[in-house]
Amino acid sequence: MMKNDGGVRVFWLLLLFLLYTRGKSFSVPGKPTLTRCRSPEKETFTCWWEPGSDGGLPTTYKLYYRKEGSEKEYQCTDYHTGGKNSCFFNKNDTSIWVNYNITVVATNALGQALSDPLNIDVYFIVEPNPPENLNVTIQNDKGWPFLRASWDPPTKADTRSGWITLIYELRIKLEEEDEWEIHHVGQQKVFNIFGLQSGGTYVIQIRCKPDHGFWSEWSDDVQVVVPNYFPNKRSAWVLLMVFSGMVFLILSWLLHLNSRNLKHCILPPVPGPKIKGFDQKLHKSGKSVDAFKSLEVPDFPHHTFSKSEDFLVEYIEVYVPEEQELMLEKSNNLHNGCLKSESSVSDCDSGRGSCDSHTLLLDKSGHQTNTQDSQTDEQKHGEALQGENLAYTHQDMVSPDMSAGRVKTWPSVFSPLPQNRSTVDQTSSIEIAKQHCLSDSLLPSDFLTPYHSPPGHCTREHLGSNYWEFDFGNKQPHLTQPQTEACHQIQAHSEININTGVKAEPAAHKFPTPRSNEYVEVQRINEEDSVVLRPVASNYDKLFEMQQGEDYSRVKGVDSDNVLLLLQKEAMEEEMNMCPCEQLTDTTGAHYTRFARSPEKPTACTHPTPQPLEERVVNGYVDTATMFTMPPY
Amino acid sequence: MDPGPAVKRATLLLSAVCLSVCSQPITDSQRLFSIAVSRVQHLHLLAQRLFSDFESSLQTEEQRQLSKIFLQDHCNSDINISPLDKHGTQNSPVQKLLSICYVLVESWELPSRSLSGSSAPRNQISPKLAELKTGILLLIRANQNVAEIYEDTLSLPLGEYIDYYHGLGADGSLRRTYELLACFKKDMHKVETYLTVAKCRLSPETNCIL
Repeated sequence: MMKNDGGVRVFWLLLLFLLYTRGKSFSVPGKPTLTRCRSPEKETFTCWWEPGSDGGLPTTYKLYYRKEGSEKEYQCTDYHTGGKNSCFFNKNDTSIWVNYNITVVATNALGQALSDPLNIDVYFIVEPNPPENLNVTIQNDKGWPFLRASWDPPTKADTRSGWITLIYELRIKLEEEDEWEIHHVGQQKVFNIFGLQSGGTYVIQIRCKPDHGFWSEWSDDVQVVVPNYFPNKRSAWVLLMVFSGMVFLILSWLLHLNSRNLKHCILPPVPGPKIKGFDQKLHKSGKSVDAFKSLEVPDFPHHTFSKSEDFLVEYIEVYVPEEQELMLEKSNNLHNGCLKSESSVSDCDSGRGSCDSHTLLLDKSGHQTNTQDSQTDEQKHGEALQGENLAYTHQDMVSPDMSAGRVKTWPSVFSPLPQNRSTVDQTSSIEIAKQHCLSDSLLPSDFLTPYHSPPGHCTREHLGSNYWEFDFGNKQPHLTQPQTEACHQIQAHSEININTGVKAEPAAHKFPTPRSNEYVEVQRINEEDSVVLRPVASNYDKLFEMQQGEDYSRVKGVDSDNVLLLLQKEAMEEEMNMCPCEQLTDTTGAHYTRFARSPEKPTACTHPTPQPLEERVVNGYVDTATMFTMPPY
Repeated sequence: MDPGPAVKRATLLLSAVCLSVCSQPITDSQRLFSIAVSRVQHLHLLAQRLFSDFESSLQTEEQRQLSKIFLQDHCNSDINISPLDKHGTQNSPVQKLLSICYVLVESWELPSRSLSGSSAPRNQISPKLAELKTGILLLIRANQNVAEIYEDTLSLPLGEYIDYYHGLGADGSLRRTYELLACFKKDMHKVETYLTVAKCRLSPETNCIL
């Protein structure tokens, strides 16, 4: 029994021992695993493996490899350069474009374990080291700086001989940011970075890769601080605000200036109906008469005519040929020149309807028709008057500007001396009604009342009040004769107040008493083609009176020769004149306006008989002087 | 009387002319090299793209298996005489390198037609190879000094390679296609390396940075 107890005890001890040993079992090492292989420069390479369990026993690892094309097995010689569990293949052992079959063997006391073989080609596993010596400098580009990064390839990579070709990549970011900005560089080793933030701190990294391999790791950081090239952000904002404020002010000012125009452009005013002369206010107030009064055309003559006969002819033009004018102009006599009208200046349309006929000679009294030849313009004086039998009258509706110096060609009003003058006791006043060529000349609204006088009795009723007016106009500039200044005065408007002086009554009205002018207007043309005139209403007397003194020259008198003596302008007042032209009484009247009396038989007053002018104003007319014939006394 | 100076002058002139003439092919060859290098780089990129496209079209498992299998085989273009490391390459004469390049490019002219690709680069590869071959030939002729020494390289049994690759591309198996693409990529890289090294070696600049 004792033996059995011993056996049991041994048995139990062995069992315990076995149990103990089982907890700590040694085994064959676990299978290692080749993790990766890498060549930094395509000349050498390193492989790393991961060991398995070591089985509790010290395990050794060995690497064996075979190259393609041969069955020879090589063993790794360098297990330390690459670190733990690595194998470094040096240049002699490395072949490019050759397949390697690598196996790691783990060996311990109990056994060994083989790893799975790994086939590599060095050409596939190239992964260079990161570039070295990254250097970033700040370059100043006219105040706007930029960065210049430069680096070197990794030392081991032989790019110089062309064995390996590397391309680079750079990345940059602000220090506080998270996202990188990547720039592909290529094969060069310098790179410029623009568009930097003023005063910012930048971080730059670089890496490289062969054209067939893997990217290297990023290089170490390089920090760079960009200087403050933008002076002050705040000041820039202030400047911007000021500038925009100025622009705004200017714009608003322009807008204000052109506000009206803009209003018209954008909101054009709606035109309302308008009748000229129609006063809405008056109309509203109920005075319809007054309202419509302004519609009256002041010079609308029709309602003033007692007779509704219209003027069939407004004016008849008298044309004087050119030569006469020249002849007249060329005469060089002083005195002639004085009275010479500016016929030279008259325009070619010799007096067709324009104002240049200075005076309309009208027979004021009904049967005392004044035969007067008034020429529409100076050119026509002589010839036209001689041949004319008609009296021309002109309703001067238009007033060309007298002051322009042009000879306004008025249609002259001829009123031949009435034949019946002789019947009258030789007092026939030659009434000259002038239609003053004013800008607002109006139709004479009045006819000479004598018109209505029975023929044969030429009584002058408004004798004295009729004046001849010679409108010499402003012929001065056109005067070709060398005249003194004073001479021009003669060519001012002459106011001629003529009366025959035969009658006492007319004598009373003798000039030089200035009287209000009366103008004549054409009433009608009678059957014998003579114009019947009548004096204009005295409404306009005052109007013309004003111009009388300046424009007209007085008739001094009529001498025995039936020559009308005119005074110069100044002579009107003082009857003195320095101008030689003034020597009215002296000369034989070369500078007079001469009027020939028509020897014809006086007919009705309304018969204007054209009187031939014996002496044409050879030496100048009273420019556009109206030539009229004295009525036979 | 003394012909010395005249002779000296003549020799000087002659040497100058010689130099200019001699330097001519160098610059020409540099230009040719640059062209050839750029062309082969482009071809290499094409090959890489083809391979990666093909690989991405495979399953992961297939990919792993294929890579294992492929690397067990080898591309038949590994010519024995071609240098396989930097040292050997740098010590090889330029003509040898050029010859090897020529052979390699020529060996791929026909098989490249069967290279498959998602886009149409396969149609471009063959003519590009032909152009590259012409360029290399020009380079060989430009450096014809010792061409006769390496004629044996040109007389390599090209027929074998052609047949080999033809065999590869005959069936449309994945493995064959994989191998073809991988080998093409490798060979293009080889040619590129050789040409680059040769160009640097012939360049008068000491600092040959590409």
